[in-house]
Amino acid sequence: MVEKLRIWVAVKHGIDVNLTRADRTSGLVHVDAAPRKTSDFDKNAVEEATRIREKHGGTVTAISVGAPAAREALREAIAIGADEAVLVTADGWAQWDTRAVARLLVAASGKLGGFDLFLLGEGSTDHFAGLIGPRIAGELGCAEVAYARRLTIEPNGVLVEKDLEKEVEVVRAGFPVVVTVGQEINTPRLPTFMTTLKASKKEIRVVSPADVGLAADQLVPSVVAERVAVPEIPRKLVTISGASPDEVAGRLRDALRGEGVVP
Amino acid sequence: MTAEVILCYSEDDAVAEGLVRLARSLTPDVASRVRAVVLPGASPEAADRLVAAGAHAVHTVAGAGSSDPHVRAEMLRAAVAELSPTLLLVGSTKRGREVAGRLAGALDWPAATGVTTVRLDGDGIRVEREALSGNAVAVERIVRRPAIVAVMSGTTGPAPSVVDGAERRELSVPSSSPGTEPVEVRPKAGGQLEIEKADRIVTIGRGLKKKEDLGMIEALARTLGAEVGCTRPLAAESGWLTDDHWIGLTGHRVHPTLYVAVGVSGAVQHLVGMRSSKIVVAINKDPNAPIFAQADYRISGDLYQIVPALTKALGG
Repeated sequence: MVEKLRIWVAVKHGIDVNLTRADRTSGLVHVDAAPRKTSDFDKNAVEEATRIREKHGGTVTAISVGAPAAREALREAIAIGADEAVLVTADGWAQWDTRAVARLLVAASGKLGGFDLFLLGEGSTDHFAGLIGPRIAGELGCAEVAYARRLTIEPNGVLVEKDLEKEVEVVRAGFPVVVTVGQEINTPRLPTFMTTLKASKKEIRVVSPADVGLAADQLVPSVVAERVAVPEIPRKLVTISGASPDEVAGRLRDALRGEGVVP
Repeated sequence: MTAEVILCYSEDDAVAEGLVRLARSLTPDVASRVRAVVLPGASPEAADRLVAAGAHAVHTVAGAGSSDPHVRAEMLRAAVAELSPTLLLVGSTKRGREVAGRLAGALDWPAATGVTTVRLDGDGIRVEREALSGNAVAVERIVRRPAIVAVMSGTTGPAPSVVDGAERRELSVPSSSPGTEPVEVRPKAGGQLEIEKADRIVTIGRGLKKKEDLGMIEALARTLGAEVGCTRPLAAESGWLTDDHWIGLTGHRVHPTLYVAVGVSGAVQHLVGMRSSKIVVAINKDPNAPIFAQADYRISGDLYQIVPALTKALGG
């Protein structure tokens, strides 16, 4: 049995997809200027980490890799229940690709105490590549389970229900293990006034790649984002109204007949 | 132009065939090779299907099957070491993305998932992939090769000519110990419906007040000859409908001729699942619901009044 579980949880301060607007004429999204927030699935990961700590003890360390503004995501993680927070940042963070982020997560968690369980969202709300968790495990050669919708701590590892397209696979894995979680695993608690106040006072440890042993040339992007655009799908935007539900329904039926989609 | 070696792998035969066709379309030259890898546990006809899809060679890994991502990634790593591909194509299924990530981490290769178009581009690869919860398209350049690209189902090429005398080889790989131990596999409840193939869909969202009211939605769907779809809350939270009805980013992507969204607000994670629909009808009591910006015909009103009236108007 692991004496004191070392739980790490990664949080991304990603683009808020619900608030992001594309340029009307070009359809281009100005990613640099887009509003940001904590990626949805990562909140589930923080919640799960917190529940495990509440039940089994140990420590929860939240880590974010990216902009200085990612402090906000870490404060939210602390407000949910993380004990410690680490921000890995440097000039040029915006060019870090999934490879660089995974390498930084491996290096930072290794340098700052190591992990028994590393939790992440199964993908980020903005990029949704689903690569970071498996990349960490691939780099370390350790066990990993993606798409968890239920997680149980056992004496020497975890029992996980892995949510696949057509089946649920139940697997057991020993520590150290990387687990990525879906939204079905829990409902993240809402930070209260008190927890938010406490989080605002908590110190966030800020480290550079060099501090955790990675030089800038080890983080040179292997994938470069060139443009992000919202494809325009023209819609007719016809509003159908009427004096009664029957009248509205009749008009819609006639419109759909006109389209040739109902007989 | 240097000769390419594109290695294709998917745990799903149909997806793997699509990858082989895509790989052939990327390499029209005579020197390049499209090689497919079949891991233990695949269907007995997998190798034949990949040859029929146009592979120059099919490499079958012998040994015991395992669903463990570490074991699968290690088998693929051995295949990569043996065959030196310039590109590894996998399906962007859940297992495909997972194995892509593990392998990319182990090999320190670039990787992209959720890819809808692939173009070899000098030393790199230019891909289009879904971004911003699927509502935007990102153009990304993978700056070096070899690399791993996980493509969405449907991203494929025309059927190429079958290669005469395609090579079939067994590939022996060193065994590796699994990172996970299987306990059980449970098929998901439902799971029979293939909503991505439906020509008409009536989708119900959070506007439905209770499970019993589904009957009203089903009646409209029956009248239209449509399947019933749903948004995330109805499948993942309340469980009123099984996951095979779920349309959205983590559910299914659909492209029907007619899509009727009832009581669906239109969260971006839902819109990605339905934006390829031809004609979209939205019925919602909130005139500011985002779904209305994505609809051809918009009815602002109470679904409990509109839906029965529409069923009746359509002769149901």
